[in-house]
Amino acid sequence: MLTHLLILAEAAAPEAAPAGNAISKITQEFGISWPFILAQVLNFSIVAFLLWKFAFKPVLATLDERQKRIADGLRYTDEMKAKLEAVQQDSVATAKRAQAEASKVVDEARKTAKEFLDKQTQEAAVKAGEILAKAQQVIELEKKKMLAEARTEIAHLVVETTKRVLAKELSEADRSRYNESAARELTNA
Amino acid sequence: MASHAKVAQQTARMLFGMSVVDGAVSADRVAGVLEYVEKHKVANPVMVLKAYHRLVAGELAKGVALVEHAGAISGATLAAISSAMSRRYGRAVTATARPNAELLAGMRVRVADDIYESSIAGQLAALGSSV
Repeated sequence: MLTHLLILAEAAAPEAAPAGNAISKITQEFGISWPFILAQVLNFSIVAFLLWKFAFKPVLATLDERQKRIADGLRYTDEMKAKLEAVQQDSVATAKRAQAEASKVVDEARKTAKEFLDKQTQEAAVKAGEILAKAQQVIELEKKKMLAEARTEIAHLVVETTKRVLAKELSEADRSRYNESAARELTNA
Repeated sequence: MASHAKVAQQTARMLFGMSVVDGAVSADRVAGVLEYVEKHKVANPVMVLKAYHRLVAGELAKGVALVEHAGAISGATLAAISSAMSRRYGRAVTATARPNAELLAGMRVRVADDIYESSIAGQLAALGSSV
């Protein structure tokens, strides 16, 4: 096919020569042959068309697709970075809130524990005071009871001793005199 | 049971009322009451007789002054006590002496449920209880 085009170009060349001798001269001096140029242009166009159609276009499509994929990846990466930063910020904020709440809970727990401890201490002191007071009362009562028992026992001993002494020491005359006195007391009462 | 005791007590009081003449228990009346109880059928005779005995014994005790004493007492003293108790109770009260060495000295006069005491043992007991 290319050969046919070169032959046609050579056949058309004598008809174009009278159009411009200057141009012909230049072309001759430079060795330019219009049919060859046309054939080369045609061949180049065909090759360019074929390359564009079957090489450049798929490659460009592939490149575009890859570029698009890369752009999507970069965009996705940026989005992921943004999301990650947002998540990190949220995590930091959540951690801060949790730390604040934890501190608050700990403070409240400490406060409650301190109040409970103070209350328990006060109650223990009150109970200790009550126990001490009761113990003192018991001791006082025991002391009084012991003194009363001792007094009773001493009185009993004194009475019994006096009875024994009087039983031995009183004479019949003493008893008679006492009986007379008792009789007067009873009869005059 | 309680109603039986109440009826027996009432019966005994009725019999005791029949046994008293001029404010004093009459031996003849008591013998008559006992004969009546023996011959006639009385409900719960044992309970009635026990209650009657208590009433008669109490009444007789009102006429007796038991004089417990330590040491000798004269008859004049007993007579004085009898006279004083008769005046106090408004009836004849006879004094009966009973020695009691526990009194140490002095005497204790018991008329029915009333006790009059003037003895060293009594004074010591009062002293011991007051301490």
